[in-house]
Amino acid sequence: MKKNDLKSMGKSFTKYILIIGALLILLDFTFHRHEYFSFAEIYGFPAFFGFVSFVFIVMLGKWLRKFLMRKEGYYDQ
Amino acid sequence: MISNFIPGLIMIITSFLLPIIPQYFRHPAMLLSVGLSALSLFNGYGTFLEWDILGLNLILYQSDSLTLPFAIIFHIAAILVIIFSWHSKNLMEHMATLAYAGSAIGALHAGDFFSLFIWWEATALTSVFIVFAGNTNAAKDAAMRYLIIQVSSGVLLLIGACLMLYQTGNHNLAVLDLKTNFGIFIFIAFGIKAAFPLLNGWLQDSYPESSVTGTVALSAFTTKLAIYALARTFPGTDSLIWIGAIMTAFPVFFAVIENDLRRVLSFSLNNQLGFMVVGIGIGTELSLNGTVAHAFVHIIYKALLFMSMGAVLYRAGTTKASELGGLYKYMPFTTIFCIIGAMSISAFPLFSGFVAKSLIMSSLGGMGMVLIYFILFFASAGVLEHSGIKIPYFAFFAHERKNKVKEAPINMLIAMGIAAFLCIAIGVFPKYLYQILPYAVDYQPYTLDHVISQLQLLVFAIIAFLFLVKFKLYPSEIRSTVLNSDWFYRKMLPGIGKPLFKKIGLLTDSLYKNLGLSFKQVLSKSYKFSNLSYIKVTTPSFAGTILISILFIMLVIVLV
Repeated sequence: MKKNDLKSMGKSFTKYILIIGALLILLDFTFHRHEYFSFAEIYGFPAFFGFVSFVFIVMLGKWLRKFLMRKEGYYDQ
Repeated sequence: MISNFIPGLIMIITSFLLPIIPQYFRHPAMLLSVGLSALSLFNGYGTFLEWDILGLNLILYQSDSLTLPFAIIFHIAAILVIIFSWHSKNLMEHMATLAYAGSAIGALHAGDFFSLFIWWEATALTSVFIVFAGNTNAAKDAAMRYLIIQVSSGVLLLIGACLMLYQTGNHNLAVLDLKTNFGIFIFIAFGIKAAFPLLNGWLQDSYPESSVTGTVALSAFTTKLAIYALARTFPGTDSLIWIGAIMTAFPVFFAVIENDLRRVLSFSLNNQLGFMVVGIGIGTELSLNGTVAHAFVHIIYKALLFMSMGAVLYRAGTTKASELGGLYKYMPFTTIFCIIGAMSISAFPLFSGFVAKSLIMSSLGGMGMVLIYFILFFASAGVLEHSGIKIPYFAFFAHERKNKVKEAPINMLIAMGIAAFLCIAIGVFPKYLYQILPYAVDYQPYTLDHVISQLQLLVFAIIAFLFLVKFKLYPSEIRSTVLNSDWFYRKMLPGIGKPLFKKIGLLTDSLYKNLGLSFKQVLSKSYKFSNLSYIKVTTPSFAGTILISILFIMLVIVLV
């Protein structure tokens, strides 16, 4: 096993995911995506929503550490 | 004869016989008992066993279209747990697990609130031994807290049942509302076990403290029994829609920062329950089907994820993200199974989560509930974050590992393999799942619109993850404790109670001294009342006292 296995795996994973992402956006232009709510039919809306939600969740979670994080063994003190 | 035998009871009887069965035959005997219990699945619908006692008619065994899917999946879960724990020689845990699964199956078939109460408490009393079998001091403390909360839920259920009988003369399971006082008691009783917001602390407190195999058993039954009970008694209760939506969204943030991956999965479990609760709240045939389907597939993929983390704990000795990584080289099968579980829970098309969650989302969309719809859509990105990416990434990838570990034992791989197979099979052939749902369904989850929409959400959420990692914005894992709602009774109440008790102690001390007696002498050896360590040691019982007092006050209010 090479040492940089994980790095190369990460790189090719990123490459494929980006290709799939681009294809999914392109697909959106080829047909009319029916949704329950008309604003969700905007091109690439679920993609945008997914990206923003994810970043928001991680960033808010990170910020919440200030209030919610204590030392390991906090309850034993 | 079998038609009159309560499903699950044979498992409980077998659990008591386990000590006299030689070690080698214990697991086969456990499997056999589950198989015998599963024969009841072919009995059809109806009432099979009633018992008149003390002027009450108890319906001990009834079955209908809502019972059946839960009964099927509870039996499957029991089988998975038994196979997964095949290597273990912990007799107490085996007994507790089999009796716990049996009690949960028995509870599904109860037709009145008193019978349900008996099984409800039986699940509490059996499962506490599973937490206890974690065999660490933390596990033992968590088990005590768990017991208090679970039993309190049962007491509330009993109060509700008594009030209902007193006020209406009826105690059979029926659709209730929140306009009656007994309805409220029963609702809270179910809410505790379903881990409603702020009532959820016990779940993340106890599950991660249990043993490698124990957590798998715990994850399957208690909370889904509560979902079943809610679906039976409170379908269409509006408040459940919001309660469920909050449950889907909030645990997501806690899961981001939690370091213990089994605790991350416990937060994730809570978030999944939210989807089911929303489905119950909507209360249409489609949404209730969605809840049942989601409970069904959830039990499998959540068990799979807990099994994969159990295997990691078994081999690597920890599930702390800060100390894991790189296990993919040493545990390739576990890695693949974990990824299948992760893709199922994230609801990738062709995996089981997709075909179940779609039912709930469609019923929300069909009703025009735009805000709730997007809260759940948002929470879906959250599920991907904590269960889809965080669990497999930090356990198996993240960085290279220095110490070698072995692949999981063969029995664990078999159990995970079966669960992984089911995740994909249900995802690819959803019609078999739809056939056993309570209402007839004519639903097609695989429409181009739906598949593309879901894939866009998931793929771009993954891209967001890669983006955050690339720019070093993704929070690193830190050894820590994340505060949760159990903080209220683990820190806040003792924080108020300790000085108060101390003052009372001092007061009574001086009183007794004036009387020529020392209060300390009266209670000296066993209690050490004015010594603070006493309070620390008995925090669970202290919390218990508070809880029981609250219950008592509620009872007085209702009766007055």
